[in-house]
Amino acid sequence: MAAYEHIIETRGLVKRYGKLTAVSDLSVQVPRGAIYGFVGPNGAGKTTTMRILTTLITPTAGDAYVAGYSVVTYPREVRRAIGYMPDFFGVYDDMKVWEYLDFFAACYEIPERERPKLIDDLLALVDLSHRREDMVEKLSRGMKQRLSLARTLAHDPEVLILDEPASGLDPRARIEIRELLVEMAQMGKTIFFSSHILADVAEICTHLGIIESGEMVAQGTVAEIRRQLMPTREIMITLLDRVDEAKEALLHVPGVESIQDMPDDHGRKRIRVDFGGDDAGVSEMLKALSSRGVPVVNFAEETRDLEAVFMRATKGIVS
Amino acid sequence: MAVSTPSDRTLRHRLRRLLADNPVVLKELRGRMRGARAFIVLTIYLGLLGAFSSLIYVAVSESATRVSGQVNVGEIGRTLFGGVVAIEMLLVSFIAPAFTSGAISGEREHQTYDLLRTTLLPSHSLVWGKLVSALSFVLLLLLAAIPLQSIAFFFGGVAETEVILSFVILTATALLFSTIGLYFSARSNRTLSASVLTYALATFIMFGLPIVLGSVLWIIEPSLDNIQSAGAERAVIYALGVIISTNPAATALMSQYILVNQRTTGTFAYTLNNGQDMTLISPWVPFTVLYVLLTVVFFVLAVRRVRVIEE
Repeated sequence: MAAYEHIIETRGLVKRYGKLTAVSDLSVQVPRGAIYGFVGPNGAGKTTTMRILTTLITPTAGDAYVAGYSVVTYPREVRRAIGYMPDFFGVYDDMKVWEYLDFFAACYEIPERERPKLIDDLLALVDLSHRREDMVEKLSRGMKQRLSLARTLAHDPEVLILDEPASGLDPRARIEIRELLVEMAQMGKTIFFSSHILADVAEICTHLGIIESGEMVAQGTVAEIRRQLMPTREIMITLLDRVDEAKEALLHVPGVESIQDMPDDHGRKRIRVDFGGDDAGVSEMLKALSSRGVPVVNFAEETRDLEAVFMRATKGIVS
Repeated sequence: MAVSTPSDRTLRHRLRRLLADNPVVLKELRGRMRGARAFIVLTIYLGLLGAFSSLIYVAVSESATRVSGQVNVGEIGRTLFGGVVAIEMLLVSFIAPAFTSGAISGEREHQTYDLLRTTLLPSHSLVWGKLVSALSFVLLLLLAAIPLQSIAFFFGGVAETEVILSFVILTATALLFSTIGLYFSARSNRTLSASVLTYALATFIMFGLPIVLGSVLWIIEPSLDNIQSAGAERAVIYALGVIISTNPAATALMSQYILVNQRTTGTFAYTLNNGQDMTLISPWVPFTVLYVLLTVVFFVLAVRRVRVIEE
């Protein structure tokens, strides 16, 4: 096992199914302790990547490392290091909630005497202690998802690999799952989770990887990705009149890259300025307008959410 | 005070690891024995067996009385015993694969297969756990039927050896058929296709082979008495022995025939046309060896299939 910088790392990962390339030369780098959101449209290659990382399928080329172990050469060590939650909940009929956890704890070679306390702790963590004796199939979808999360923690893994953990849940259950993920990160786990819903990712993740057509479009911390994909700031200016004069004034301010006309807002003129400068530059813009007496009604920087970043990064192509 | 020796402890430890410490065994048995289902299956099985035994008793006791004028109780006992074993064989050959043909494909269908594959549970433990739990229930069915088999003792004509022999043959049958079910289950994504393949093979072994066996016998029987070469006769008899040893029903019938006529469960002498003796072995021995070997082969193939990481 080599010393490793990233707890998950893929190098030139390729997965082909016949003529279809599901993952193409993919390099994922997840630092220890990160909450890494793996985002992309449906069919982009997220699940394939996760199945390679969890040793369920072998890559066609390249390699993936989890906790320093190659998924190809040391699958057992990788399995010990990961807790995996697929994008479906595997249900066993005729099984109680505690039996479900007990079974998987036994599969992870947790000694029998340690299991009762472990199960109590896990159920308390996911707030299912009161459903301990219920049959698994009777739980709501959100509860099953929480139970599934508890299962991934049974052997105290370093990394949690979660495929669409919030998909198909109602808003309340989604928030609960998000809170649980944050709690698990605070417990020191690295969380690598996929989603095609940006809202799930935006609020909690520290790092982001955007995948499309099997290729990594952008990767890094959320701030880095914003900077990488959206190098300019957007300033929205609303004027009473004298638009041309305002444009003329703004074009002389250093950092202004382009100015676009926007649709009128209740008879008021609007323009959008793409600006590559700093805060002092923004102040200069406002000064330039007021020094010419241009009637400014509103001057504000548009905050670009991840949705915009995502739309800019992806082209809507699905492999 | 009983003192356990280190070897006892090792054996107990190994047994515990094989049976009790296997999470799959515990989970499957827990699921299988929960609720009324196991009780109902057992009740229906024993009810059917009891009903058939009663029918056989009525039919045989009437015909035995009519033919000889007095009741031949030994014949009733033997027929009753043979009937119960035959029904058990039929039930076991079809119940055992039912428990295993969905064992691994069912995990895929319930979407729990991937969860298991990412745990530390070794492939052989998964397959072994499925086999042991299925066999435990089949064994329960076989043990539960022993009192019914034993009714034959009231009439006489049946020895304990026959009961033991029948149990061994039935267990070997259950073992192989369960493992065949497991193998096809490991190969298939759907339980339906695994069941079809398993039952096709089980039906061939149970019914196809006797037809082949009967046809071969029918063809060669007239020429058997005329074989002059001792070598050729030996070859024919060995070939027949091999064919008999592949089928549980033929094995059971032949082993009982040899037990009754030669009074042995082991080897016996057979006189060839030229007056020489050749030593033969009761077919239950090669049958058991063959079935256990085939069980090992199918088990290993199932484990290999489960171990394969998807390409």
